[in-house]
Amino acid sequence: MPVHAKLTDRAGPSWVTGSRPPMRLHDHDGSHYLTYPAPEHFLPEVGPEALEQALRERRAEAPLALHVRLPFCRQACRFCASQRVPSRDSRQAEPYLSRLDREMVLLRRLLDEVPPVEHLHWGGGAPSFLSLNQMGDLFDRLDARFGLSGARRRDFSIEVDPREADVFTLRHLQALGFNRLSLGVQELDLRVQRAVNRVQPRVLTESLVDEAERLGFHSLNLDLIVGLPLQTPRGFGETLDQVIAMAPARITLHRYTHLPHRYRPQQEIRAEDLPDAASRLAILGEARERLEAAGYLHIGLGQFARPDDSLALALAEGRLARDLQGYTSHPPMDQLGLGVAAISRVGTTLTRNARQLGDYEAALDASRLPVADGLRPSTEERLRAAAIEALACRRELDLTALSREHGCDAAGLLAEDLRRLAPLCEAGLLERRGERLTLTPDGEWGLTRLMAAFDPDAAPMP
Amino acid sequence: MPDSLTGRRRSVLHETRCQTCSLSSLCLPLALEVQDMDQFDAIIRRRAPLKKGETLFRQDSPFTSVYAVRSGSLKQVTTEGSGDDQLTNFYLPSELVGLDGIDEERYPGTVVALETTTVCEIPFDRLDTLSESLPELRGQLYRSMSKELRDDRRMMRLLSRKTADQRLASFFTSLSDRFRRRGYSPYSFRLSMSRADIGNYLGLAVETVSRILGRFQSQGLVEVSGREVHILNLESLIQVAEEEGAH
Repeated sequence: MPVHAKLTDRAGPSWVTGSRPPMRLHDHDGSHYLTYPAPEHFLPEVGPEALEQALRERRAEAPLALHVRLPFCRQACRFCASQRVPSRDSRQAEPYLSRLDREMVLLRRLLDEVPPVEHLHWGGGAPSFLSLNQMGDLFDRLDARFGLSGARRRDFSIEVDPREADVFTLRHLQALGFNRLSLGVQELDLRVQRAVNRVQPRVLTESLVDEAERLGFHSLNLDLIVGLPLQTPRGFGETLDQVIAMAPARITLHRYTHLPHRYRPQQEIRAEDLPDAASRLAILGEARERLEAAGYLHIGLGQFARPDDSLALALAEGRLARDLQGYTSHPPMDQLGLGVAAISRVGTTLTRNARQLGDYEAALDASRLPVADGLRPSTEERLRAAAIEALACRRELDLTALSREHGCDAAGLLAEDLRRLAPLCEAGLLERRGERLTLTPDGEWGLTRLMAAFDPDAAPMP
Repeated sequence: MPDSLTGRRRSVLHETRCQTCSLSSLCLPLALEVQDMDQFDAIIRRRAPLKKGETLFRQDSPFTSVYAVRSGSLKQVTTEGSGDDQLTNFYLPSELVGLDGIDEERYPGTVVALETTTVCEIPFDRLDTLSESLPELRGQLYRSMSKELRDDRRMMRLLSRKTADQRLASFFTSLSDRFRRRGYSPYSFRLSMSRADIGNYLGLAVETVSRILGRFQSQGLVEVSGREVHILNLESLIQVAEEEGAH
C-alpha cells in the first residue's frame, strides 16, 4: 500500500488532508542532526587524545570559533533538556570559571598560531546569570588565552534569559564586545508559563528588544517552544502575534519532546497537559501562517528570519551553513567547545566534554582535557553528514557533486538511505531528477524526516 | 580697566563680592556695567560652605532662590515614585542651580554637595525685580536657561542612542569643555563624583563604567588614577563620543 494512502487513512481534521501532503509529516520530533552521528552515538574510546591530535593537525591560519557553555540558572524550567547546574548565587559560578580558564590553557597549548577569534558564542543555562564582573572576567580570560578580534565583522553572540538581564546588562555586554543576542521567550501565555515554571512577563523581553536595537546588536533572535503543556493553537497564535510585534530579525520555533525518563525536570510536566498530535499540528499551522503573513522566511528546522537578515541572505546566495548552534551565515570552520557537555568539531573529529559537573572539574583539576567521548566519523558517516547538510542548507542534494567532493560513489554508498527517501519523494517532499534531489516547498517543512532517512539508527517513521 | 572702576573700588572686607569674584565673567553679572553690579551684589546672600554630602535643598521643597556655584561641585538627584534615585545633573563653578524650580515653585530634585562647596544664593523674587530694570541681567538669565535646555537635549540624545563607550567618552569631553571654559585645564581634572554616580547619570552599571575606563586607558585615551583624570588624546576621545553606527 502506498505510504501516501496509509497516511491519509488516519483520522484527523479534514483540512490536514488537503491538496498538499498531510501536515502530519511536518510534525516530526526528529533530530536536527547538528552533528551526524548524533552525540548519543559518541564513543568513550574517543577521548582527549583525539581532540589533541585534531588540534595539532590544524592549519595554523585556519579560523577558529569558540563557544562556552555556562550551565548555571536559577530556576529549573520544566521543559529543560540540557545539562543544567542549579544555582542561587552567581558566586557559585566562580569555581566553574576558574576550571574554564584551565581548560583554555590546556587547549591553547595544543594550538600554534591562532588568528584573532571572530566567532564567539556563550550558551547555557543562562549566561546572563553571571554577574557583570564575572562576564568581564571570562571575556578577558578568553582574550588573554586565544585573542579575541575587535573587527566589525566579528560575531560574538550570547543567549540571554530576560529574567536575569536588564538594559544595564545589555550595555555591559556591548561594552565587552558582544554584538548578537538570542532571547529565551518560549511562551507568553501565563498559564503555559506556570505549567513549565517559567513565569516571564512580556515587558521583560520587550525592554531588552528595544535596548538591543538601540545598542546595535545584529540579528536579534527570539526563541519559542511548540508543544508545551496547556498550549493551544489560539494561545500560541497570540504569543506569536506579540513576538512578531516586537519585530525581531529572527524567530526560532523549538519543538518540545517529552522524555521525562531522560530529563528529570520534565517529570514535573503532566503528560495529560501536553497538546495532542492534532493540536500540535494546528499550533504549527497557526505559526506558519502568521510568520509567513508577517514576512518571515522559513530558513529551515523552525528557524525563521526577515528577508534582510544575514541568514536569509546566505540562503538566497547559496552559502547558508550550520555550526554546532544551528544555522549560520558564516562559512564552516573548526569549533572548540568549552565547559560542561560542550561539543567540539575540529577537522572531522567530534568530541564532547564530560556531562557531569563533577567529572568536568575532576579532569581539569588533574590537568586533563575534560573530553569524555567523541567520534572520528568513517567515510560513510561523513558522506551522510554531508548529505544532511546539503538538504538542510542548500535544499538540494547533488549526488554527483557529493561523489566528487568525497572521492567515492555517493549513490552507491548511500543506496539504503536513498531507498528510505523514496516514500518521501512519493509523498511530495522531494523531487528526484537523476542524480539531483531537490526539496519541494513542502519538503522544507518535513526536513527532519528527510534527514532521518540518512540515519540508519533513526526510529522508524510513523 | 576704566579709571572709574579704580576709583570706585572699595576695600575688601570679605572676598565674596561679584566684582572681585573670578567667575564674574561667567556668572550672572557677566553683562552688567560696573555701576549695576552693586545692585546685583546687594541681593546676593553668601552662604557658609557646604560640606561633602550636605544638602543644598531637597526635592519638592518650595522654590525660593537660584544658586550660583562659586567653588566645588554638586549633584542633582531625583527620586522617582518607585523609590529609585536618578542622578540628573552635575553642577560646576559658575553654573546656576535651581532654574528648573521656577515654574512649579518647587525644586524638582535634591541637590547635594559632592565636596566642600560654596554657593551664592540669589533670591528669585529679587532677581526677577532687578532683571526688569537691568535688561543685561535678564538677558544673561535667559542665556543660562537656554544653555541648560540645550545641555538637557544633548543628554537625552546620549541616553537614547549611544553605546556605553560613547556615553562615557561624551561625559569626559563635556567635562573637559566645561573646565576649559572656566579657565582650568581641559586635560587634567579631578572627578568629584564617584563611579557609581557616573554610572547612574549615564545609565550604566558601575561595572560597565570601570570596564570602559579600563579600555580607554589601554587605548591611551585617558589615564585615570582614583579620581584624577588625565585626557591623553582629546581628539580621539571626541571621535569615540560622536561615532555613529553599530559596533
